[in-house]
Amino acid sequence: MEPASRLDHNHKLSLREFPYIIRWRDDRCKRCGSCTAVCPVKAIEPTVKVMRVVRSEGPVPTPSSVRQVVQIVEQVKDMERYCTGCGTCTLVCPNEAIEPELNPQSKFLHYKNKGGDGYKRGGRRNDPSVSTLDRLKFTRISMLTDPALDAGRHEFRIRTLLGRVTAPEQMPLQVVDGRLQLDRRSETFIPPVREIYPIMIGSMSVGALSPPMWEGLAMGVAYLNEVEGMPVVMCSGEGGMPPRLLRSRYLKYFIIQIASGYFGWDEIVRSIPHMVEDPAAIEIKYGQGAKPGDGGLLMAQKVLKLISKIRGVPQFVDLASPPTHQTKYSIEEAVAKMIQSMSMAWGFRVPVYPKISGTKTAKAVLNNLARNPYAAGLCIDGEDGGTGAAYNVSMDKMGHPIASNLRECYLDLVKQGKQNELPLIAAGGVGKKGNLAANAAALIMLGASGVAIGKYIMQAAADCFGDEYNRCNLCNVGKCPRGITTQDPKLYRRLDSDKVAERVVEVFKAADTELKKIFAPMGRSTELPIGMSDGLSVDDKAIAERLGISYAC
Amino acid sequence: MRAKKKTVKSKASDVKLKGRKQQTKTAMPLAAQSSPFTIRGNVNGQRVPSRILEEQIQEAVKHGVREMRIMAQGQHGIGGRIWPSGEIIKITVEGTAGQRLGSMGMDGTEILVKGSASDDVGWINCGAKITVLGDVTNGAFNAAAQGILYVQGGGGARCDTMTKRNPRFEPPQSWYFRGVGDSFAEFKAGGIAVICGVRPRNPENVLGYRPCVGMVGGTIYFRGPIRGYSERDVKLLDLTDQDWDWLTTNMKPFLAAIDRMSYYEELTRSSQDWKKLMAYTPQEKMARKKLHMSTTEFRKNSWEKAVGPGGIFAEYLDHDLTILPYITTGKERRNKPLWANEKYSPPCAYACPTLIPSHQRATLIRQGLLQESLELVLRYSPLPATVCGQICPNLCMNSCTRGLIDKPLAIDKLGSMALDLPAPRKEKPTNHRVAVIGGGPGGLSAAWQLALKGHTVDLYEASGKLGGKIEHCIPRERLPHQILEKELSRFAELGVHVHLNTLIDRKKYDAIYKGHEIVIIAVGAQKGRVIAFPGSEHVITAYDFLKEANSGKIHALKGKRVIVIGAGNVGMDVASEAYNFGADSVIAVDIQKPAAFGKEMEAATSKGTQIVWPKLTERYDHTGKKIHFKDGSSLDADMVVISVGDVPVLDFLPPDIHTERGWIAVNNVNQTSDVKVFAIGDVTGLGLVTHAIGQGRLVAETVHYQMMHAPRAPELKQVIPYEKVKREYYDVCTGDFSAEREGHKCLSCAACRDCHMCESTCYWGAISRVEHEGGSYEYVVDEEKCIGCGFCAGICPCGVWEMVENI
Repeated sequence: MEPASRLDHNHKLSLREFPYIIRWRDDRCKRCGSCTAVCPVKAIEPTVKVMRVVRSEGPVPTPSSVRQVVQIVEQVKDMERYCTGCGTCTLVCPNEAIEPELNPQSKFLHYKNKGGDGYKRGGRRNDPSVSTLDRLKFTRISMLTDPALDAGRHEFRIRTLLGRVTAPEQMPLQVVDGRLQLDRRSETFIPPVREIYPIMIGSMSVGALSPPMWEGLAMGVAYLNEVEGMPVVMCSGEGGMPPRLLRSRYLKYFIIQIASGYFGWDEIVRSIPHMVEDPAAIEIKYGQGAKPGDGGLLMAQKVLKLISKIRGVPQFVDLASPPTHQTKYSIEEAVAKMIQSMSMAWGFRVPVYPKISGTKTAKAVLNNLARNPYAAGLCIDGEDGGTGAAYNVSMDKMGHPIASNLRECYLDLVKQGKQNELPLIAAGGVGKKGNLAANAAALIMLGASGVAIGKYIMQAAADCFGDEYNRCNLCNVGKCPRGITTQDPKLYRRLDSDKVAERVVEVFKAADTELKKIFAPMGRSTELPIGMSDGLSVDDKAIAERLGISYAC
Repeated sequence: MRAKKKTVKSKASDVKLKGRKQQTKTAMPLAAQSSPFTIRGNVNGQRVPSRILEEQIQEAVKHGVREMRIMAQGQHGIGGRIWPSGEIIKITVEGTAGQRLGSMGMDGTEILVKGSASDDVGWINCGAKITVLGDVTNGAFNAAAQGILYVQGGGGARCDTMTKRNPRFEPPQSWYFRGVGDSFAEFKAGGIAVICGVRPRNPENVLGYRPCVGMVGGTIYFRGPIRGYSERDVKLLDLTDQDWDWLTTNMKPFLAAIDRMSYYEELTRSSQDWKKLMAYTPQEKMARKKLHMSTTEFRKNSWEKAVGPGGIFAEYLDHDLTILPYITTGKERRNKPLWANEKYSPPCAYACPTLIPSHQRATLIRQGLLQESLELVLRYSPLPATVCGQICPNLCMNSCTRGLIDKPLAIDKLGSMALDLPAPRKEKPTNHRVAVIGGGPGGLSAAWQLALKGHTVDLYEASGKLGGKIEHCIPRERLPHQILEKELSRFAELGVHVHLNTLIDRKKYDAIYKGHEIVIIAVGAQKGRVIAFPGSEHVITAYDFLKEANSGKIHALKGKRVIVIGAGNVGMDVASEAYNFGADSVIAVDIQKPAAFGKEMEAATSKGTQIVWPKLTERYDHTGKKIHFKDGSSLDADMVVISVGDVPVLDFLPPDIHTERGWIAVNNVNQTSDVKVFAIGDVTGLGLVTHAIGQGRLVAETVHYQMMHAPRAPELKQVIPYEKVKREYYDVCTGDFSAEREGHKCLSCAACRDCHMCESTCYWGAISRVEHEGGSYEYVVDEEKCIGCGFCAGICPCGVWEMVENI
């Protein structure tokens, strides 16, 4: 038998290949182990090293050597335990002795395919460049030509309509005793419409989010409505809703999503007779901007008791939402059948609209909806949207930016004279760089009736570490160090839902102030400037031309 | 009359300078006028422009006029900008006052408007006292910083906005007898406003819609009902005594100025009739709660009342609904350490087919128990000096972690040191009978183990000597015969019934089978394998060659050229022996990369053996003394030894013992197709002596369990990964062998060496050493102190601590 040859560095990766490199400071570390205790992926570990110094202190060469074994914190050179750069170590280190540093030379994607499977992650498109939305500027400022408004002094009414708006001449109106009234006996269908705040919290499921995160968002939304008087709504995501919420008065602030997985829908249907309020709307999910054509996936490690109960599935199984609805094979069928069923469930009292991922074919969907009297709107989710789990390639390379997609759809409605009839909701990258109000205002002025946010609120309300440099992005494996996207109580109990709710309130109040700061100089205080594209400019001619706005430099 | 004349003249700008000269000359007479000096805003039906009227006022003041009457017709800014001279300038405005009356008015200017005034009265007032015996329209007193505005009527919208207070001067005052319009006092930064609320235009609201937006300073006293104010900016208060003093004192001149003294009693009836609005200080604003109610209150008072206690998910959660810190202890830790002493096998024991725990021998040496250490090995092998010490390739040493630092532990030498030890003590007899067929290393090992456990063993050996291939085939120069003999004599101490010269045939086998509970077949492979090629009848097998050599037969090889087909370790033994017999050259050929390694190969090549490959034999020309290969080459060959392995002779076996390609088929515990028959060693496939000994030991355990009615397989541990053992603690060691030295060199892989490193390292003081009765010890973790950081596991020299998920 031949002795096994002892290899040393063969096929081992150097730290230079890793996306983040841990900078650890020996001189500051007190070896308390806080960093290694919290590292979500065990990318750092304590170990020992030998230090050896050979000295010569005499007047002639008099060698003496000192050997010392020291304890250090070391980064693991295993791609399966790569440092994600989340910085939880930095957060907990009492001595500022450790922090991950982005390595621009990383060859991460070359290696992150062990076992022959592509790299999966959570988060959003890794593209730190400035998005089109962030390049748009508001250039039509009312100075002396129009009366300017003062955001701090004037009263504003920032609201939008969710639902199909019937033209007055089509309304069954009658005059009774000199007063205009609806003719209740008319068989003309009057679509349900909700007046809501134009920024809504987009669909993030129970399951994708941890209980305190989801509840924190929900509570923040309820607070905004009931204490602040801001009619902000939130979409449930596709993981069902807790029956306690379904049967509470707060349901009216929630849009219930139905997706191809139909998770939790038996529980929702069972709750209908017990509902004291109708939901704000029903969203039918056909696509997700972050990963178009890729279905939803909740990995087995996140399907614990709570999720199993709420979704009505066994524990510890992968839950796939296929990229297509299983019983719908054409756009007519998909749209008509689904909208009809969902409307019927709530007696046609609730707006029902589909959500699709940004795509060149969005107009085709839109035109189908325009012909369907029960369609309450269309939500388009652009490529910069976030997700809990997807293949990296789907996130990084698939999808359509929201700006031109939304604009194209809006202008199409304008051609048909239906721009005030069918609301468009834009999503995907709103607030990507933190400019929530500016991005929202830009989309509104390009033609959106409202916008939906997801990743932004996770960052702003729960301190999510994720960014476009692939920081953290562990949402898919349920190891979220912030407790946002995990079902592990040891992790999610780090999150205080009261604090999340408070941040939601602060975020929306601040965004409201900022929207006023944008709308006031443009002379708008009561009507949302939907499609007011003459107020927008961009410093790029091609973008200007594509969006039909002016070029300013 | 002069003035009138002058006004007319001034209408033409080309005569302005001349006109001024005239004024200068006539200054004294003008000032001496007894009746008020009058400037008319309309002359001969022509409205005088604001610019001219202003010039006339300024000229008049310059010429000493201290009291004047303006008959206004909407002129802008009347009465302002009269730079202070220390004297009082009184201006009475009649007619229609224009916008911004008294704007930028200065100290010493007193303006009385006999009627209402238009927008922005007192704009940026810097000290003028303005009395309006009527209403003021929008924007009165906008940005006023000093001075007084008395209004006999009410104010329009946006009055008192942006008023200031300059600390160098008295604050501005504005008094409104009736009420004011919407957006009053926006961004007010200083000054005192008084709204008396007498017959207000809106009886429900004397301050108009949304007053005080952005107000940061000053005070507003008002009397009468209001409908809200900017609560974000100002607070509503009762008047203090000081307020009341100020108000009642200053009320008199106001009422006197607007000719409403009759209201004094009513307005000063009670301070309860009045309220004041004051701006919140920046400190108050900073200290203010950002939200109307905390979200925690909202949860308690609204949310949980509607959705149930604990929130929307409470019914599904089985943990406390409290918040956890990032650094946790006890059951909230994500990971926890385990003192997994001896959970894993060290590489040495794992690599040894007999699983000899050499690390335990090192531990005993370190504890000063050298004798116990040497004795330990006899529990595992009957032939430590022979096998470990001499002929074994020492797989243990090849895998020894210490070898990654300098040299492996000298386990072979430790084996040799056991040579003179007596046999260990046997267990009490069990009366179980076991037959072992074959007295080679496998059979000896099995018989040794079973005898130690107290079983009765019959050992059958075909030849006249025990030892099998060790005795018969291994060159004496590699194994001094006396070592084997010494160890066989120790074996004899155990009382195994040895039946020498007992070749087993089918009949004898059947008798043995019937007479024993268990039969262990360890007959080895005793027939050299021969590959058929032309001339192969003239070759000799390695088995025969070596056996003859060990039995004393002399091969006359002086000056001969020997070819060995098959360059494995047996081939190397053949080559060595051939040289010993005087061969001139020995060439070992192989069809593939030779399998020879270690001591055998070193011995053979040091004597001159060449190894050539790949060579596929075609034929042997016995007469021409040449061996030909398929590649066309040939070599001189006086003698050809074929060393391509041995095969067993199994003619004694009954058909229900299954064989595969000539070997006895066994399962993972070396059991044959007959549950009471086991087979070990070369009879199941060729291996090393140590494999045979290992199988003998493990099969003895299996058999023991089976006979004692506790059937199970021997426990096999996983090997500890090298990286878990921290070599960093050990320096390169030089020097000669001594048992003590080896004891300290051992890294004690996977076995605690009781060094206290973990205890000293733990920052949280969670690890302590607990000693049990009988001298055993363990390291334990205080769950309430441990945070699960993994330092103990990371720094443990032996890799004993391991981190596991805390579930």
